[in-house]
Amino acid sequence: MIHMRNVCKTYDTGAVALDHVNLDIEKGEFVFIVGASGAGKSTFIKMLFREELPSSGKLVVDGHDVVGMAREEIPYLRRGLGVIFQDYRLLPDKTVFENVAFAMQVIEAPRRIMQRSVNAVLDVVGLRDKYRSFPSQLSGGEQQRVAIARAIVNDPSIVIADEPTGNLDPETSWDIMDIFQRINKAGTTIVMATHDRNIVDAMKKRVIAIEDGRIVRDEQRGGYGYEA
Amino acid sequence: MKLRTGEYFIQEVFRSLKRNNWMSFASISTVAVSLFVLGVFLLLVMNMNRLAATLESQVQISVYLQDDLKKADREGLQKDITNMQGIETVKYVSRDEAKSRLSERLGDQKYLLDALGDKNPLPDSFELTVVHPDMVETAAKAIEHMNGVESAKYGQDVVEHLFDITRLMRIFGVALMVLLAGATIFIISNTIRLTVFARRREIAIMKYVGATDWFIRWPFLMEGVVLGFAGGIIAAVALRSFYAAMAAKIYNTLAFFPLMPQYPFMNYVTVAIILSGMVIGAIGSTISLKRFLKV
Repeated sequence: MIHMRNVCKTYDTGAVALDHVNLDIEKGEFVFIVGASGAGKSTFIKMLFREELPSSGKLVVDGHDVVGMAREEIPYLRRGLGVIFQDYRLLPDKTVFENVAFAMQVIEAPRRIMQRSVNAVLDVVGLRDKYRSFPSQLSGGEQQRVAIARAIVNDPSIVIADEPTGNLDPETSWDIMDIFQRINKAGTTIVMATHDRNIVDAMKKRVIAIEDGRIVRDEQRGGYGYEA
Repeated sequence: MKLRTGEYFIQEVFRSLKRNNWMSFASISTVAVSLFVLGVFLLLVMNMNRLAATLESQVQISVYLQDDLKKADREGLQKDITNMQGIETVKYVSRDEAKSRLSERLGDQKYLLDALGDKNPLPDSFELTVVHPDMVETAAKAIEHMNGVESAKYGQDVVEHLFDITRLMRIFGVALMVLLAGATIFIISNTIRLTVFARRREIAIMKYVGATDWFIRWPFLMEGVVLGFAGGIIAAVALRSFYAAMAAKIYNTLAFFPLMPQYPFMNYVTVAIILSGMVIGAIGSTISLKRFLKV
């Protein structure tokens, strides 16, 4: 699903964010990306959906050559990915249903499957009965669940989450992780950057630790591993 | 583009027109005023061109003969002139004929001639037409020096002046057009920038879920075109009634003035004005998209 070969990223300021990263993430994996702020986690995540471009090296995501691809291909890479952020990024003037449907609308998905698909993903995140609510009427956890529904409504092969529980209390965070686990069980690859030690330690998934732009640890069934 | 997508775009356009109602209003007004002023200039230039061309094609030389010229000399002179290069026709107009023509031209004011009684102050003359308007000046000068000729007059200087004026107006019109188009494009691109700003969250999400660049751009481009179109319609309607009113006035006072007829001429002008509005709108939004929509 994701293959990195000698990927480097140096910003114009001269700061090195990633330094010769080699990595393979296969279909159906659940991977945590851990590391201190500024270690290169965000750059790593942003490269996967080509928000950032590697300075050198080779990066293949879901069959797309991210470095060599034409601008016009970028939307098609992103259609295979579901992206979730710490701050949910919902549209405040749209209802829950509309927020999720919006993701289908803008890639011109057929209308006849829209209703069914949106209802199905709202079922997955447990918000079917709140489909007419506006984001401001929901709790943080519920808003993040809407964001997850939006990320998976186009049936992506990889879900990329950048600190999805960063704004949530522990109990709500577990609800979110529960949803991720179900999505993963259905065959979707999940890459999640996080600071949440408890979650990483408890889930026993593959953990990739990044420090100063390098992968310093990559273990199956790993733990958070830092004394922070 | 799918039908439903078109529906979505149109919805988006009207939502942001409503959201930026003051800027939209300002844009439409600017487009309308600019295009109207441009249209007035266009009408002026085209009509002056037509007037100059009409006068030019009518230019003829009037050769006034000395009073005491004998018939034989006159006929010889006529032959000489007819044989000159570039002269098309030579027509003899007797002083009696000239007087009756004048009285005809005076129309209602024919009584002015009564004061003359039986006297006729007009000379005999030839009316010449030339093959090409350029030859008028040289021919007239040459003829003036011939024996038996009192003077040779022509309207060339009037035509020249008219052409000078239209040329100036055309230059001024182009400068004005550039200026007004620039101002209009600026206003429209500002309006679109507000829309881009108001929709930045949506745009970001559209990018993350894989909307194509053109899917994101279309509503903005359409908004600019709609603004230009609305302004163009207003300008065209105003211009049509303006021209109709002016034409009525001119026909009342200067019946023979060679005005461009309203149809189909004004239909072309209308189409041109509306199309210009749309083009200006498209350019305005494109500038804004290039600068503010990083997709």
